[in-house]
Amino acid sequence: MIRIAIRVNGAGRVAEVAPQTTLLELLRAKFGLTGAKSGCEAGDCGACTVLVDGRAVNACLMLAAQAEGREVLTIEGLAGAERLHPLQQAFVELSALQCGFCGPGMILAAKALLDRDPQPEEQAIREALAGNICRCTGYVKIVEAVRRAAELMRAELVPAARKVESSR
Amino acid sequence: MRTFDLVVATTAQHALEALARHGPRARVLAGGTDLLVELKAAAAAPEVLVDISRVEEFKALGREERGLVIGALVTHAEIARSELVCRLCPALAEAARRIGAEQTRNLGTLGGNLASAVPCMDTGPALMALDARIVLASLGGRREMPLEAFFVGPRRTRCAPGEILCEIVIPESSLGKSSAFRKAGLRRGQAIALANASAALRVDPQRGVFLEPRIALGAVAPTVMRAREAESFLDGRAVSREAISEAARIAAAQTRPISDFRASSGYRRELTAVLVRRVLEEACDRARGGCGGAP
Repeated sequence: MIRIAIRVNGAGRVAEVAPQTTLLELLRAKFGLTGAKSGCEAGDCGACTVLVDGRAVNACLMLAAQAEGREVLTIEGLAGAERLHPLQQAFVELSALQCGFCGPGMILAAKALLDRDPQPEEQAIREALAGNICRCTGYVKIVEAVRRAAELMRAELVPAARKVESSR
Repeated sequence: MRTFDLVVATTAQHALEALARHGPRARVLAGGTDLLVELKAAAAAPEVLVDISRVEEFKALGREERGLVIGALVTHAEIARSELVCRLCPALAEAARRIGAEQTRNLGTLGGNLASAVPCMDTGPALMALDARIVLASLGGRREMPLEAFFVGPRRTRCAPGEILCEIVIPESSLGKSSAFRKAGLRRGQAIALANASAALRVDPQRGVFLEPRIALGAVAPTVMRAREAESFLDGRAVSREAISEAARIAAAQTRPISDFRASSGYRRELTAVLVRRVLEEACDRARGGCGGAP
C-alpha cells in the first residue's frame, strides 16, 4: 500500500491505496465522490473527466500515485456554496442533459475550455468536447449550453442570490 | 489491473537506477494513456512500474545549437500550443493536435507516443519527415539515433532494458523547412489514424525545385516509414501539380497496409496517395508564403 496526499475540491485528503489504484478508483471508492463515472476505462468516453491542476484528464488513465500533491477538481466541487456554477446553470436551463451519465465529464471538460478561452467558437467547443461521448447523443443542447455558460460568465449575469435548491 | 511494485522516480538518476536494478522486469510509466489501457487488459502485469512522470529533467522544450530539443515528457497539448513548435515545425504541432482528445493530449507525452511504437501513431510521421533523432539514456550514458532506426516493428523498438527515451531532437537543418501533416480517421475527433502522412521540404527560390524533400507515412506498414522512392523522385525536380501527384502515387505504392475492421488495405493505400498529395501541396504553399518557419 502507498500513502497518497492530494487536494480534492479545495480540501487536503489522504488515503492508503494499492499501487495499481487509478485516480478514478481513489475518488469514487475511497472518497465517495461518484460524480466522475467509470465508463470505458480506456480513455475513449470521457465520463471520468476531472481537472488536475486545471487541466482536463481521464481519471481512469492516471494512477492515484501520479496525482500525489496535485489539485483535483471533480463535479462535486464545482458549485459554490450558494449557487451553481454558470456551466451547471446553463446545462439545467437548456436541458442539456438526458440520462446525465456524461454530464460531469462534459461540464468539467467545458470548464477547462472556458478557463483558457472565455469566448470559444462553436468549433472550439466541439473540439474541447471531442473526448466526451454522450450516448443519448444530445450534443446540440450541450454545445448550446457551453456557449450560454460562456455568455453568463462573461457578463456575470448569474444572479448571485440564486440558490442551488431553487433550480431543482 | 494486476498489482505491481511502483517506483515513483523524482529525478532522472533515480529512474535510471530503478530501471538498472529491475531490468526487463520493469516498465516505464509516463503519461499512462497507452500503458494503463494495456495493463488493464493484460493477463500478466510487469513486476515493477517506474513512474517517470515527475522527472523535471525530461520536461524541457527549447531551441539549442543542435536544434529543437523536446523532453520526452512534454505532452501533446503542450506541443500543440507551443509557439516555438508551431513556428519552426508546424507538422509536429498539427500531429499533436490530432491525437486523441484534450484529456488524452493533457496526459500523453511525445516520448510515450514514440516508445509505444504503434504503427498508427501521429507524431512519428511528422518527426520522421523532420529527420528527428531520439536520445536514449541509461546509467551507462546516452546514445542517439535517427527516429527511423528506433522502430523495429509494431510495439517494438531499440530501447533496451534499463534505457529511457529521454529527448527528441529536431536538427537545426530541418527547422527552416516547410512542413505539413494530415491524418484520415473514421471521424474528426478522438480517432485512430487509418492513414497519416507528413512532408518537410524546401523549395529553391531561384529554380523553383524541391530540395531535400522528406515524406513519412503512418498506419500503412509495420512501423512508421519513409517514402524514399517518392522523395528521390521529387528531389531537384520542378514544383508542379503533376510532380506532386506522381510522388503521391509512388509513395502509396511503397506502403504495405493491413486490412482490419477500420479500413481495408486498398482503402488505406488510396488514402495515402491523397494525404501525400495534400501535405506536399501544403508544404509547398508554406514554402512560397514564407510561413513554414524560416529560422
